[in-house]
Amino acid sequence: MTWWDALVRAGAVPAAYVPPASMGRTDADDGAEPGADVVEGATVAVHPVTPAPSPPACFLDGIEQWKVVSYDGVLPIVHAYVAAAVRRRGEDRRLRTAFEAARDFAIAPLAGMAAERRRALTEHCPDVVEISIEEGMQPGRLLELARRAVDSARQALERELAERCLAGLGDAEWLVVDGLLSVSGKLSGHPRALGVIKSHGAQFFTGVDLERALTVPAAHRTSVFRARGGHARNEVYSWYLRLWPWEGNDLLYGLLRIEARAAAATLAGATLVSSWLLGERAPIATPDARWDRLLYPIHDVETYLKARAPRDFLASRASRLPRLRRTGT
Amino acid sequence: MIARPEPVAIGRVVATELKPSTPHQFHFWTANETTIGIGAIVRVDDGRGEKGEGRVVYGVVTDGFAYSDLATPLHDVIGAEGDPARAAESPTVRQEIRYWTAAVLRQIPEEPLQPVPLGQVFVASDTDVAQALRMDAYLHSATPTAIPIGLYTSGGLESPVYLDADFLLGPEAAHLNISGVSGLATKTSAVEFLMAAVFRHFPAHKGKVAAVCFNVKGPDLCFLDQPGELSDEDRRRYELLDVPAKPFERVQYYAPFKADGVNLNTLRTHADLVDDVTPLTWGLQEVVDFAEVLLNRDDIDAKADAFIDFLRDRVLGRSFEDGFGNAHKVETFADLERLFRSIFDGLELTGRSDTWRTHHIATMRKIRNRLLNISTRCKGLVTDDGPSSDLPWGAFEDRAVYVIDVANVDPLGQDLVFARSVSKLREHLERRDLGVDAVIVFVDELNKYAPGDGPETYVKKMLLDISERGRYLGLVLFGAEQFRSQVHRRVVGNAGTQVFGRMDMDELTTPGYQVLSPATKIKLATMPVGELMVRHPHFTQPIFVRFPKPPVLRGRDGMGRFPAAIDLPFEDAVVRQLLQLDRRIRPNQVKDLIADRTEEDVRRALAAVRQKRPDDVLAFFRKALGGRVAPDVPRERRAVPPLNPISDEPY
Repeated sequence: MTWWDALVRAGAVPAAYVPPASMGRTDADDGAEPGADVVEGATVAVHPVTPAPSPPACFLDGIEQWKVVSYDGVLPIVHAYVAAAVRRRGEDRRLRTAFEAARDFAIAPLAGMAAERRRALTEHCPDVVEISIEEGMQPGRLLELARRAVDSARQALERELAERCLAGLGDAEWLVVDGLLSVSGKLSGHPRALGVIKSHGAQFFTGVDLERALTVPAAHRTSVFRARGGHARNEVYSWYLRLWPWEGNDLLYGLLRIEARAAAATLAGATLVSSWLLGERAPIATPDARWDRLLYPIHDVETYLKARAPRDFLASRASRLPRLRRTGT
Repeated sequence: MIARPEPVAIGRVVATELKPSTPHQFHFWTANETTIGIGAIVRVDDGRGEKGEGRVVYGVVTDGFAYSDLATPLHDVIGAEGDPARAAESPTVRQEIRYWTAAVLRQIPEEPLQPVPLGQVFVASDTDVAQALRMDAYLHSATPTAIPIGLYTSGGLESPVYLDADFLLGPEAAHLNISGVSGLATKTSAVEFLMAAVFRHFPAHKGKVAAVCFNVKGPDLCFLDQPGELSDEDRRRYELLDVPAKPFERVQYYAPFKADGVNLNTLRTHADLVDDVTPLTWGLQEVVDFAEVLLNRDDIDAKADAFIDFLRDRVLGRSFEDGFGNAHKVETFADLERLFRSIFDGLELTGRSDTWRTHHIATMRKIRNRLLNISTRCKGLVTDDGPSSDLPWGAFEDRAVYVIDVANVDPLGQDLVFARSVSKLREHLERRDLGVDAVIVFVDELNKYAPGDGPETYVKKMLLDISERGRYLGLVLFGAEQFRSQVHRRVVGNAGTQVFGRMDMDELTTPGYQVLSPATKIKLATMPVGELMVRHPHFTQPIFVRFPKPPVLRGRDGMGRFPAAIDLPFEDAVVRQLLQLDRRIRPNQVKDLIADRTEEDVRRALAAVRQKRPDDVLAFFRKALGGRVAPDVPRERRAVPPLNPISDEPY
């Protein structure tokens, strides 16, 4: 018997609600106002980059999936799954899994639940993450808290895997992480760790610098800058790199932001790193809609994780029309 | 007890709504580097076997696919910026799949028949192959009837594949048909190997078996008693299949003479081998029953037919009085000619009507011309006079091969040889007095002898007769041809076992091959020498097997090692034939004996010696030749002077 079955037996109302934003992961910034100090020159400049062969590398990505499996009153009880993997690229140019980890858990506002249901949950589910509620909190707000809990669990898993991977990284091997590097002290301090950010919710520049940064031509990078604000939980250097021409599409088309260790070596190696990252344009990560910014190895890790994820998080393809009660005849 | 290693799964069955598993077909994927290929046999285990309720499915791979996660080829072009060389340099190789389609060979349990479970896929073991092909029923029964046809080779496995003798040589089903393009040494080689396998494994409880092979082209079957060159690999395969890697021990060759009546019409005329060739010569008695084969159908009206029947029933081999005071015993064409002459002379001299015993003289003249013409048209095979030399009807030996070489005989003669030999085989097998219980008749070039279209020839009728009724008698046709689609449907359709060598692509587009997948067709079109696709009643799907090179000398190689001798002059040819019978004979003795004798007389005497095989060959030959009749020298006439010379004037 699953823990959500136990909950239903204890009086919870069964549910099968997959929130629209539950199947992916976010690289959203943490809301703090960002800023940047250009460390390569005085203002943002663009530098040409030519594709170059990639060094040995590992790629890390994570996924998160969650859905509401029952309600205690109006309180949603969430079943969540997060997973992360590091895939190492071999000499045969194929990716193989080096590290992986997954976590299957429940998220519930334990304090607000009826005692019987709370007991059923804690007895049958070994991994429950509690979200705190306030008086009169709306169910929608609870779902947002659940999303954050899932996000945080995924990030923790990624961080843990990244740090395990760094410990065994080869001498010339790089670790490319999908997302922020600055979330981990070990990651942001490693000379061959890179964060590749595809979403650009946070903007670091204004005015002319902003224009230069966001209109950087294909196969060019911007000057390296030190990211400040929410991103700077651990100090990192960063720069923009355009993989594909944006003209005819939109400003962010093919635009990556790279994070690396805040060190002089990063300044010296930004062009070289950009060169081999530019080489990662092929193969194209289609059919993913974000293929213009998604590196194929990262797409591969994500595909791998999704293929291994439990299938019950997928939204049912069946109709959501009310079910007929069985008559028992 | 030796622990057997746990089999390792090499694939997994996958099913989607669009491509589901069915009771007859399933799909699975494997690693990119796999030993699996088209024709491989696999086992699917649903993983519940330990509880005794599991389902095991055996399948044969019929198609294979490989694809990557590339959404459209255009994306590859974009990724490589239009430069194919750059596409190969991309830092990461796309994920790709090896996806296979397999046809179900067998499910255990067989009932209820269910879709193939989504289980793990394993490479078939020896035991699995036997189970999958239902060979266990006749391989391990109390009276095994298994005959090896080759080795199933896939994934490092070499597992013997067996045919069921009950379905290859009767009575359940029978006959084997083999197709393939010519020149790749597959059809004849496969039949030679299979005959060796049959001779080794023909079940004792089924009695004795022999083979009659018609050599219809070149030296193909002329060296079945000579060892061919075998590699160590071939010898190992023979060992695995438990077939002796040596040539046939008992082979008898038969060939008609050439038109000269003394040189054999075969390529096996090398001095070291020609002694084993027995001349095939037939006289009137042997031929008249098959007159229909040789006579133009337009000639045989009801009147002519009635007259032939009269000759056959009332005249041939009997003492017969022609009504004009002459007694006849017609046993040869020469006797027949004397009879006709006597009748025609009698009618003419007596001035009687144009009718003799209700037969019109015109009908008789026509039949006379046609019958007597046979010995001319089939000179060398049909003799005007003298005894015949034939296969040992009634004394066939167990595990013996009788090769009848008609490669250089004209088509009419070939028709006669086929028709008569097969009829005699059927006749003796019906009476159970052939000497063996089953006979394999190997005929190559069925495209020519049993074509799907064209006139209804006697040979085609004979082949149809074997195909349709032979299995009850133990008369089994092993037929070979280049284009199966052009052979009579009933001949190929009645073959219980179908074998395919490398096929022509055009042939594979014909309707008979529609059941094969495109991948199987490609495999057939590119199959190497020594590999065959086999269909057999016990196998629900075609199976690919490898067979070793036959243990006999191939025709071409044989011609290199034993080149055919040049035709000898008449006298030398006679000497050689007598020497075959008695090594003590001195050539000069023979030459003296036949000097000034007509060739017809010598041939007749020679035939008599061959038939009688006396202890003292030369004496018998001398006697058969008869006394030398001294030429009648005209006496010198003395001129008689005129009684009354008129004058000296010459005018």
